[in-house]
Amino acid sequence: MSAHPIADSNPAAQPPFSAYKLGAAYDEMFAADGSVRPQFEALANRLTLLPPEELQRRQQACETSFLHQGITFTVYSDKQATERIIPTDLFPRIVTAKEWEKIEAGLTQRILALNLFLKDIYTDGRVLKDGIIPRSMIYGSKHYRREMRGLPVPHDAYVNVCGSDLIRCEDGKFAVLEDNLRVPSGVSYMLANRDVVRRAFPNLFRAQGVRPIDHYPRELLATLRALTPVREDVSIAILTPGVFNSAYFEHAFLARQMGVELVEGRDLLVNDNVVYARTTSGLKRIDVIYRRIDDDFIDPLIFREDSALGVSGLFNAYRAGNVVIANALGTGVADDKAVYAYVPRLIRYYLSEEPILDNIETFLCREEKPLAHVLANLDKLVVKAVGESGGYGMLVGPHASKSEREAFAEKIKADPENYIAQPTIQLSTAPTFVEGGVEPRHVDLRPFILHGEKTVIVPGALTRVALKRGSLVVNSSQGGGSKDTWVLSH
Amino acid sequence: MFYSIRHITRFRYAAPVHESVMEIRMQPRSEGPQALRSFQINTNPRAQLYAYTDHFGNAVYHFNVLRAHEELRIESQAVIEITRHQILPEAADILEWERYNGYNLNHDHFDLLEQSKFTQPSAALSAFIREKNLEKPKGDPLTALKTLNTTINEAFDYESGVTEVHSPIDHALSEKRGVCQDFSHIMIAIARGWGVPARYVSGYLYHRPHSKDRSGADATHAWLECYLPSLGWVGFDPTNNVVAGERHIRAAVGRDYADVPPTRGTYKGPTEHELATAVSVEPTQAPVRHEDFLRVARPMSSPTPTPSMPERLYHQQQQQQQ
Repeated sequence: MSAHPIADSNPAAQPPFSAYKLGAAYDEMFAADGSVRPQFEALANRLTLLPPEELQRRQQACETSFLHQGITFTVYSDKQATERIIPTDLFPRIVTAKEWEKIEAGLTQRILALNLFLKDIYTDGRVLKDGIIPRSMIYGSKHYRREMRGLPVPHDAYVNVCGSDLIRCEDGKFAVLEDNLRVPSGVSYMLANRDVVRRAFPNLFRAQGVRPIDHYPRELLATLRALTPVREDVSIAILTPGVFNSAYFEHAFLARQMGVELVEGRDLLVNDNVVYARTTSGLKRIDVIYRRIDDDFIDPLIFREDSALGVSGLFNAYRAGNVVIANALGTGVADDKAVYAYVPRLIRYYLSEEPILDNIETFLCREEKPLAHVLANLDKLVVKAVGESGGYGMLVGPHASKSEREAFAEKIKADPENYIAQPTIQLSTAPTFVEGGVEPRHVDLRPFILHGEKTVIVPGALTRVALKRGSLVVNSSQGGGSKDTWVLSH
Repeated sequence: MFYSIRHITRFRYAAPVHESVMEIRMQPRSEGPQALRSFQINTNPRAQLYAYTDHFGNAVYHFNVLRAHEELRIESQAVIEITRHQILPEAADILEWERYNGYNLNHDHFDLLEQSKFTQPSAALSAFIREKNLEKPKGDPLTALKTLNTTINEAFDYESGVTEVHSPIDHALSEKRGVCQDFSHIMIAIARGWGVPARYVSGYLYHRPHSKDRSGADATHAWLECYLPSLGWVGFDPTNNVVAGERHIRAAVGRDYADVPPTRGTYKGPTEHELATAVSVEPTQAPVRHEDFLRVARPMSSPTPTPSMPERLYHQQQQQQQ
């Protein structure tokens, strides 16, 4: 075997990085001049010392381990496979202590403001009377639940589990792209990625001072427990739509980790306004439901009557305070992509503070001027349907064909209120193992925020990777991959 | 004036069902000229009743029956008092339209100005509006709403069995026939189109002996209320071509029927069931005389024989408002 380059020369010029091409985007590992950013130095030196075959072997071990654990994510639009693993990448993404400090403060601020907003629109509606946000945007949202009006929730915390999507822009600043306030998923991949990558680089991992994230299930359990006044024998259940749901693996994983029941709607029943689980030893009262079912499907008596996933009478038990549902119902109205544009204003309105994390500039197609701008610049913009998530119903202008753009323009004109547009942001890139080497791929960052009696953000995140070269779509539901995310303690 | 209202609802199933869950919106509201004096609900099988007030201020009762049963019967009884209604002027003044500008902007009537599930605009509705000259009127809104009330009354024949409880307005518009639920939805759709906040009212109507009312005497009734800035909520009953008054007993208000069905429920078991209802409204000095007055709304559909019924959730058929 030929001698490998010595470690003290610039790793950027060595395999596996010799063919690494920097683009216009901010790169997580390399500065514009090609030098390695300090937080990546130890990792870079280590990798350049490993023979390529060894790297490949470890990457394969990593993938095999995922397969064996059964970590999967269904891709609905994929005709060939109904189930596929979410490809994980051996190459961690590193976030410095200073960067994390700002992310943590920014997300804490944001979750506070969003919860105050939810409380407001379900009680006094001060923000509507003061004209901060148009009534039509709230009452016209399909996620606004009139049934929640005036209904108190524990600690005024509507969103108990939030997964916020951050991206790093060309200037290196983190900005919030999306708040996921309904049933965000992905935290199990954050934990599983850590597991396999720690095994691949045990020594490096210890030497780097990576902050632990293994306590996430414990923190989640503590958050859920603190939502109920019941103190002894608190009984918690995760309500899943079932095995065909794309995130079923995660529901089962979290139930196992927390030692709580995993139930489907048919496993629950409501009697005399109290929720019970059918167990082999009879009915067992349930105090807290961590639901992973959308509002619409949770109670066929109140919401969609064709729902076979929910529990009839559940909402009335909830209303009576006999069970807690986390997240509360009706949170989706605040993560609507049109409401997103107002979040900086909401932070100022409720907290009298300047937003710590930036928003992405957003054009509301419901407004005349922005609409004209959007239609004239479709080739430069990303257009999204306001109520959708998971990368469905969107157009990435620069990557779309002329006919695709024309067809989308018709959709926008037919229903402008349903669309927003944002400039195409070059998400930052991070080195990623691909067939035959290491190449830059676009990534985002999804930290998970727990909010109830207090706010807790485990120092970690799911870094999602757009696996296709040049692609900016990272959603797992659109075939994206993921990376372990190291938050450093110093 | 005192009225006693008795309302019986009976579900019969082709085979035993279980886990019935039911919500009831039957309790007359206590506000304005109408005051609730007593109210009770009995169910058979017996069940523990719970209640809450929904976001429209309607009293909602709910209960469940876990064990197997072949029949579910709900009987509600209310006594209410209606004091004299406000006397409406012949017409509002023409400035009334302008008062809406300030009013609609500053009040939470968004939901009653936006079209809702059963009042969605359609080609048939537009055609009806054109045909009857029902574009936004030039004159004052009270006169216009009275005219609209009459126009709808005259344009449709009252006939039950043509439309169903979940029929969109297009059904009645194309058939030129329907029941109070349809007429109210059509008038709400047009009033909202004019920028007049409008809401659906579910309730009961006292039919005087020998009255010319078209609505069925043995069913719940529905009409609508429109907001006039200088007069408040004014009730219109297009079914009977009257302004709602001392014979109209309000039980629940909402955007449309979907918000206020007298019963809404689910159960597990075979799908075939039969719904029967009976309603009586009497001045209390009159003796309450209504035994055997259950009316079968729809015959039991002939069950297709299935050896083992799958455990599925079914929705109770709801009662159409006539």
